[in-house]
Parts: sequence; structure tokens; C-alpha cells
Amino acid sequence: MPPSPKVPAPRPQANVMLSRVAHSLYWMSRYIERAENIARLLEVNLQFILDFRGYDDAHLREHWGSILASSGDLELFDKHYETADSRSVTEFFAFDLRNTNSILSCVFAARENARMIRDQISVEMWETINELYLFLKSRSTADVWAAGPYEFFQDIKRNSHLFQGLTDSTYSRSEGWEFIQFGKYVERATKTTRILDVKYHILLPSAGDVGGALDTAQWQAVLRSASALEAYRRFYVREILPWKVAEFLIFSDSFPRSVHFCMAQIDEFLRRILGETGARPRTEAARASRRLLAELQSKTIDEVLEDGLHEFLIEIASSLERISDEVVRTTMFYVAESTQEEQQLQQQQ
Amino acid sequence: MSLLSNPYDPGEFFDEMYEANGVVRPHYRSLVERLGTLPLPEFERRRAAVDLAFLRRGVTFTVYNDSEGTERIFPFDLIPRIIPAREWARLEAGLIQRITALNLFLHDLYHEQKIIKDKVVPAAQILSAKHFRREFMNFSVPHDIYIHICGTDLIRDRDGNYLVLEDNLRCPSGVSYMIENRSAMRRAFPNLFQSYGVRPVEGYSELLLKSLLHIAPDRSDKPSVVLLTPGVYNSAYFEHCFLARQMGIPIVEGRDLLVQDMCVYMRTTAGLLPVDVIYRRIDDDFLDPAVFRSDSMLGVPGLVAAYRAGNVALANSIGTGVADDKVIYAFIPKVIKYYLDQEPILPNVPTYLASEPADRKFILENIANLVVKSANEAGGYGMLIGPAATKEEVADFRAKVAANPRNFIAQDPVMLSRSPTWCQDRLEGRHIDLRPYVLCGEKTVVTPGGLTRVALRKGSLVVNSSQGGGSKDTWVLDEDK
Amino acid sequence: MLISLFHKTTFAYAGKAHDSFNEVRLRPVDDANQVCRSFELRTDPATAMRDYVDFYGNTVHYFDVVAPHGTLMIEAVSEVETTPNTARPPVPVVAQSESGMEGELRAEFLVDSHYVPLDVSVWREAQDALQDGRADVWSDVRRVCRHVFTSFAYRPRSTGVATLATDAIKLRTGVCQDFAHVALGMCRSSGIPARYVSGYFIQARRHPDDEEASHAWIEAYIPGFGWAAYDPTHDRVADERYIKVASGRDYGDIRPVSGTYRGGKTRSLRVEVRVREAAGAVR
Repeated sequence: MPPSPKVPAPRPQANVMLSRVAHSLYWMSRYIERAENIARLLEVNLQFILDFRGYDDAHLREHWGSILASSGDLELFDKHYETADSRSVTEFFAFDLRNTNSILSCVFAARENARMIRDQISVEMWETINELYLFLKSRSTADVWAAGPYEFFQDIKRNSHLFQGLTDSTYSRSEGWEFIQFGKYVERATKTTRILDVKYHILLPSAGDVGGALDTAQWQAVLRSASALEAYRRFYVREILPWKVAEFLIFSDSFPRSVHFCMAQIDEFLRRILGETGARPRTEAARASRRLLAELQSKTIDEVLEDGLHEFLIEIASSLERISDEVVRTTMFYVAESTQEEQQLQQQQ
Repeated sequence: MSLLSNPYDPGEFFDEMYEANGVVRPHYRSLVERLGTLPLPEFERRRAAVDLAFLRRGVTFTVYNDSEGTERIFPFDLIPRIIPAREWARLEAGLIQRITALNLFLHDLYHEQKIIKDKVVPAAQILSAKHFRREFMNFSVPHDIYIHICGTDLIRDRDGNYLVLEDNLRCPSGVSYMIENRSAMRRAFPNLFQSYGVRPVEGYSELLLKSLLHIAPDRSDKPSVVLLTPGVYNSAYFEHCFLARQMGIPIVEGRDLLVQDMCVYMRTTAGLLPVDVIYRRIDDDFLDPAVFRSDSMLGVPGLVAAYRAGNVALANSIGTGVADDKVIYAFIPKVIKYYLDQEPILPNVPTYLASEPADRKFILENIANLVVKSANEAGGYGMLIGPAATKEEVADFRAKVAANPRNFIAQDPVMLSRSPTWCQDRLEGRHIDLRPYVLCGEKTVVTPGGLTRVALRKGSLVVNSSQGGGSKDTWVLDEDK
Repeated sequence: MLISLFHKTTFAYAGKAHDSFNEVRLRPVDDANQVCRSFELRTDPATAMRDYVDFYGNTVHYFDVVAPHGTLMIEAVSEVETTPNTARPPVPVVAQSESGMEGELRAEFLVDSHYVPLDVSVWREAQDALQDGRADVWSDVRRVCRHVFTSFAYRPRSTGVATLATDAIKLRTGVCQDFAHVALGMCRSSGIPARYVSGYFIQARRHPDDEEASHAWIEAYIPGFGWAAYDPTHDRVADERYIKVASGRDYGDIRPVSGTYRGGKTRSLRVEVRVREAAGAVR
């Protein structure tokens, strides 16, 4: 008996894998990237506050408030903590399990996803993630503070890099590599837009502060949060100018954390995932991705500043979300939807 | 110092390596020679290397008794168990005979039930068997094969005769250890291995895949085969992954499959792909919530309907558990006679059925000297070894048997054979059994060897992994010298 | 009698249901006492229907409704001709039930089943009914059923679809399902193989407001004769007015509609049954 015509024919794709496995690979990758980004963000900002003695309490609150706002966690933070200071924000972003976007929550989630596909990933990949998890489980904010937060964040970043490096060298390219990379770059691009948006949108300097020591220091911190300070300097040499920083972090086609660079990768992997081989995209997600990439390839920073940087960044972030949601829906959706619902019994009374 | 420096006592048991007078059996001579010249530190080094390799490769199983399901390595003993070619030929013939009869038996039970009507097996025993699946009545299965993979446990008595201890016809496991053990031995003793001429076991996965393809519905020339696992929490998960990888087939869980219009599909990143054959390592009870246990989250609703409609094939089939029920076991010699008109080549262990009044009386009176088993428990649980039990345990079991006789059988204790096993610092005899694996496809094939399980605890007869068992490599010789 | 049957079941779900896999046992049997002249089964949403014969000889139709749906309707329409009472052989007097190997094939109907565990309370009930001593098998069956009829009160909604025979014995009330279960337990405890029957019966006088439903009764095995049917709810032989659909050990084996689906809970379940004498009946 042939398969029913009502079941849509499968897409012609080179690599086919279980939706559930793709789902886990995707999220494992996103959560590790997210954890690393949070670690970097926290580290840079803690360092910044330490370095910049000119910060008074109001500035401090404003500074931390901006970080919290950028990740959309301000409300949640206020619910559980009284004041926003270095210690409480570190607690919130590093160890608080009530915060689904804390480093601990992200690493737990990454490990959980990795565990479910343990037979897919290499032994080294699993051991790395597992060790990071055990390491985190054994620490607390007090420990971190006593030993010095810098070391702590270095460990997180080191493990994340190790994990990504191992993935690079040990993960077979034929078994879902695209999902890992797609997840990583979506997460990275989104984070870059947010880092930029914090400074531009929230930490607006007063007229007198523009170009001043604080402003410059904050821009440096922005670049550091994206590991871009040295790269930027090589490019622009002398001055840290806001619009140049924005241009660099959005449009650079050589810096690996720029939105444009990430978008090029996202588009490439998305096409592979959806089996898009033709010149004209067939699927909605591929179309949206192509459009977004074209924008990032052709627009100039002046055009963006004229239309509004904040709006531009928000638009990119939501386009990225739409695109990734669409990919999840198309290739991994059967999992998310059906298994959540309860199985019911049907019988006649 | 070598392994043989300490004197070895075969005791009153049939010993694999030594005859009663201390002479080495012919097929072990080369091995004993080699062991005699191998310095002890070298042996220890090889042993440690093998253990480490198992650890790194994750050759594990999960024990559920612990509060947190821990993963353990299945302990491996480097001294192999060797079976001469002639001896194996008989075992092979006996196993093929047995499984052929079992397949005919299952077909009959789920169709005309002639064996019941001819009063060879009592209907009450079949109907009260926990795994007799009424839902499966009149079902037709591809090529009338119900058991595709069978693991029959064999033991040897005091005189060295092989007896069938039990059949495992549902989801027999352990084959991955058999293959991994062989790799370990090759690495540890490369020269000895070669000089012996041992029949290979590596072809198992290919044979298994062939048997699975054999039952695929006719509609496609490239049937898709998957392995259905309960998931990471199952104690044999390692084996599921191992076999799937060896056969090059996807490993799926219930939630990766769906049934639509009586066909089974797999949820993939390319959409829904049809599934033709499922090698299922999930028990019947959990297979399909629409037919069996409705609370099962491991199964696929509608799977049985798709099977019934002939759109998918399952290996092993549904309802095979009735034939490995411990009470039905007692009737298998009659089953062989009935369908094949032959005497069984491999005898059963003599068994008493508590449900038969005469046997019940005997059991209750002599329970302290018998091995009593619950009809439906697996792996050494629900078992009483009378001579080794305390007064309380014996009394407890006597009460259980009296209350629910259908659920118990008893056997005279068999003096299980022993094999020299490395126990910390010397060779000592430990009880063993043998689980060969039989595959039924176009032909019925018995993998030469199988898993020899060892009861590592001194004096223990329980060989299961979860209760202190270990394993050895099993060498079936190409030819007898 | 020529009888026309209409049986419609409608499930309404909170939200949508999907991936629904179902089995129905609604087709009347063909045997010495009746012939099913026509049978039609349809569903809404419409599906492809398949069927098989189960372990107890019941015809089972099975189907799936995978796409999301808010309601599921299953409708069975049939016409059955029952053998007139005058043409049915009388049940002979047989001293006692089979024993040993002859009884083997009926062993199923002598042991515990899910709804009818044979515990002490069931056995005692049987002792009560047969305290005057055992007579022939069929008399004993009738006495058991009469006992149930007189000692238990017919009270809808006092029990549920999951009520066991042992629960009903404590409650002393129930509906036809419970009466049948209790009677089965008592027969089996007394060594008489008995099975559960589901189906319908036609009422001689029907009040327009009477809620019609499917019905349950029992059949007991009479050596040398076969299965003989009796209705404990009405204390009478299940004769030409009765239409048999399915039989088994207990309710669990004959569920008219069963299965699973994914989605919201069942908001409501409506059953409509109509049993009428058909035009053109020949008395």
C-alpha cells in the first residue's frame, strides 16, 4: 500500500536527520554561545566599573540597568533583587536559575540537550560540556567573588571556545553540522545587535559627556564585549568614534562577530539546511534571509544613522528571530508541537 | 610468576579448562601454554588496557537499583571460553531446531491453536501467560517469522551436558558485548588468537540487517529500517546505539515516529520519511498506547494498526513472550516433538510446575532444596536458590508459591559448569553460562559463540550484569585439531 | 424478528484533538441466533475504515483521524434478523460443567479478568445464590442471575465505566454492565464458564422519553449444547429480542469505542441509540 498522497513529499536534501536530534544540536549550540556571550558581557562590564573610578551610584545603577534592559531581564531582576550592583547583577547573570538567561541556566540547558544526543557528539565534546556543568554546579557567587571574577569568566569562555573548537575538529560534517553552526551564528548576531543597542539607546551621554572620558570608556567596553577592540584598532587605528564602532560591528565583512559576517554564515547554513540549491529561494525563510543579507551588504552606516540606529538594530534582531523560528518550524517542528500535548484515552461510556 | 603459578582447583564441577584429574582439555592446551609463559605483570597490563578501552568507548550498561541509575562497565575476564567445532555443531543444530519449533508454535498459538486442541499444551497455561497477546490473534506476519532475534541461555551440568536454561524471545540483549569482547581479545592476545583459528562474530550486524530487510513490505526496493529505543534511560541504550551504528540505520524514539493512514513515518529535517521495518527494543506493553498500555510515552499510537495493515514490519514480532514464559518453557520439548516430529537435540533443565497439583506438592515439600523462579521476572530477580537461602527467604517463597501457583516453577539445582577466571590475584573457578544469538531471516543462522556470562562473586550462580556478573569472550574453533 | 439499529457516538473536545487512533466493536455477529443483514459504519471526519476479527471472534473496525478535529462522530446503522424463539433449541439439562481437558478451551472464562476478580466476596455471593445446593448447570445460571436481579438495585450513575464487580457487590447497585459482571463472577466461582455479551434489545413497550442505550448480559457454557444467553438485568432469557454485537471476558474486551488521541480533554460524549422493529418483519 503506497504512502498516502496527503503526506507531503520530503524535501530533497543532502543531509537528513531526525528533527529531534537537529533540535537538540541547534539548542545545544545556541545555549553555549549564549553562555559565553553573557560571560563576556559581565566580565567586560565588571572590569569597566573597576577601571572607571569616576562612576557614582546613579551612574552605576544606570549602567547595570542598561545591561539588564538589553537582555530583556530588567523586570525579572527587579522582582528578586533590591539594588543593581556588581554583586547582585553577577549573581543574577551567572548563577540564578530563576533567570533562564543566566550562565548556569544556559549551561544546564546546553548539557541537557547534549545528553539527549550523546551518541551523536564526540566523547570530547560531551566531556567538555559535562565538566563545565560540574564546574559551575560547584561554585557560587561568594566563591567567585573571593577568588576573583576574572578567572571565573575566563574559565567559561575557555570552555566555550574549547567546545566550539572540538566541535570543529571532531564533529562529522555530514550529521547536523549545519544546525550547530546555524544556531551559533543566530545567537551571535543577535547578541551583537543588543550589545550595540545598549550603548546607543540606553547609555546615551549627556551633551557635555559626548567624546568625554566616560563616553569613550563605554565605547571601549562595547567593543570589548564583542571581543572587537583589537580588531577595531587595526582597522581604524586611532579614534574610537561611535559611528565607526557601529559600522564596524554591523557591516564589517571580515570581523567574525559583526552582524554582516554572521548573517553571511546564517544564510549559507540555512540554505544547506533547507536544501536550497537554486538561485531563487523557494522557502519563506530563505527569502527573508536573502533579503536581510542583502541589506547588510548594501546599506551604509550613514543611511542607518539617518533612519535611526536603534530601530535598525531592533528590526535586525526581530528578523533574525523570525528566520530562525521559521527554520525551526520547518525542520524541527514536529517535535516541539506534538509531544507537548497529553495523550488522552477515548472510550464510550 | 604467571597466572598458573597458583594451583587451580576444579572442584566438583564440570570445568571448562581442566578435566577432573587435572589434565588440560585438548582445546585449551595452547591457551594454557601461553598463559604459563606470560609474566603476571604483563597479563595485568593487558587487563588494565582492556578495562580502560571499555571505559573510554563507553561499553556500559545502567543499573537501576542505585538511586541514580549509574553507568557501569560490564566486567570482562581475559580468559576465553573455548568450544571445539564438533561440540558447537551440535549446539547449532539444537538451537536451529528449537527456534524453528518456536516460530511454528507462535504461529499456531495466534492462529488455529491446534497444539491446544490436541491437548499437548494446556489452554489455561497459554491464556494465563502474562505475555500472551490476545490483540495479536489472527495477525499475519511477513514470512510467518515471529522471532527474528533469539538469545537462548545454555548451561552445562556436572557431566558437561549442555542444557537449555531459558529462551529470550522479546528483546534479547548482550550482543554488543559479544562484539566488543572479541575486539578486546584481538587486541590483548593477537598472536594466540590467530593461531587458534576462531570463527568470527563480527558479521552479526550485517546478518541482522539482512534479516530485517527480509521482512520489509513489498512496496519499496530500498526499504527503510530503524531501531526503536526507549531512550537514554534504558539500561541497554549503549547496545541500541552500537547496533544502529553498525548497521547504518537511524536510531529513533517513539516520539520520532508517527502513523498516518496506517503507514509509519519518521520526523526528519526533510519532512516525513516512510519507515518499513522497525527493530524494536521496546516491550509490547509500551509499544502502542492505543492498543496496549495507554500511559506509555515510549510508543507510537497506531503502530499496531499499521502493522496489522501490513505497512510496516516489526522484529521481534508482538506476542513472542508467551513462548519464553518460564512455565511454557517446560512444554518446549513437547512443542519440538509436535511440530517437527523430532526429539529435542538440546534438553531442558527438568522443571516442576507449581500449577500442576502433583508438582506443587513436591515443590512445597522440598522447596529448601530447589531453585524456584517466578514465571515472569527477568534477570535473576524473583528467584530463590533453596540451598543457599535463609529460613525466612524459604518461608517467604513457600507462601508466595502457595498463593499464586501459576506464577512459579521449580528446578533441581544444576551444578553449573565453571571456567577459570582471574580473581584479583589468582585463577579461580567461576560459574558460567552461554548465550548464543540466533537470527531468523531467509535462513536461520547461529552466531558462532555468543556471550559467556560469568558469576564473578565466589560461589554465586547469578550471572546477570545488574547483579555482579561479568563476561568472557567465546571462541568457537574453525576445526578441531 | 427483523430489527433495525442505529448507534451514534459523538465526542466533543476541549480545543482540538489529533493523531486519534480508534477501534470500534459495533457490528452485530452472525451466528445460530441472528444474521446481520446489513451494516454500515461512517465517521465524521470521514476516514478509511479497515477491519479484523479479534481473539473472541468480534469484528473490529479500526481507523485513524490524524488531522486536528474538534469533534469525532461515529455512526453505525445495521439491520439484523433474529431467529424466532420457536426455532431455537431448548437448553438441555446437564448435570455439571466440563472438567479437565474438555474444559481447557473455556479456561479463559473461568479465571480472573480485569473487571471480574474472583475474590472472596464474589464467591460468597455465589454461595448465597446457590445455598439450596447445585442443580443442573442452566438452572444454576438462572438462579445466579435471579439473585443478582433481586439483590441489586438498577441505579444509573451510581457506578462508572471503570467499576469492578467487587465494587458493585459492595454498593449493591449498578447498571447492566455491573449486573453482568457480578453474574459472571458468581458463575465462574461456581465453575461455570461464562462470558460477557454486549449488544441491544428491543423493548416491547417503549416510552418516548426512555433513554435507549446498548445493553449487556451474559452467556454461560452448557456442555454438549454451547453458549446459552441470560440477562440478569431483566431476569430473562436473552431471546429473539436481543441482538448480540460482541463478547469477551468482561467489558474491557468489548468496548464499543476505544482508542487514544493527542490534544485537549474530551469535553462531552453523546450516545444515541435507536432499536426498532423493522418494516417487513415476519412474525
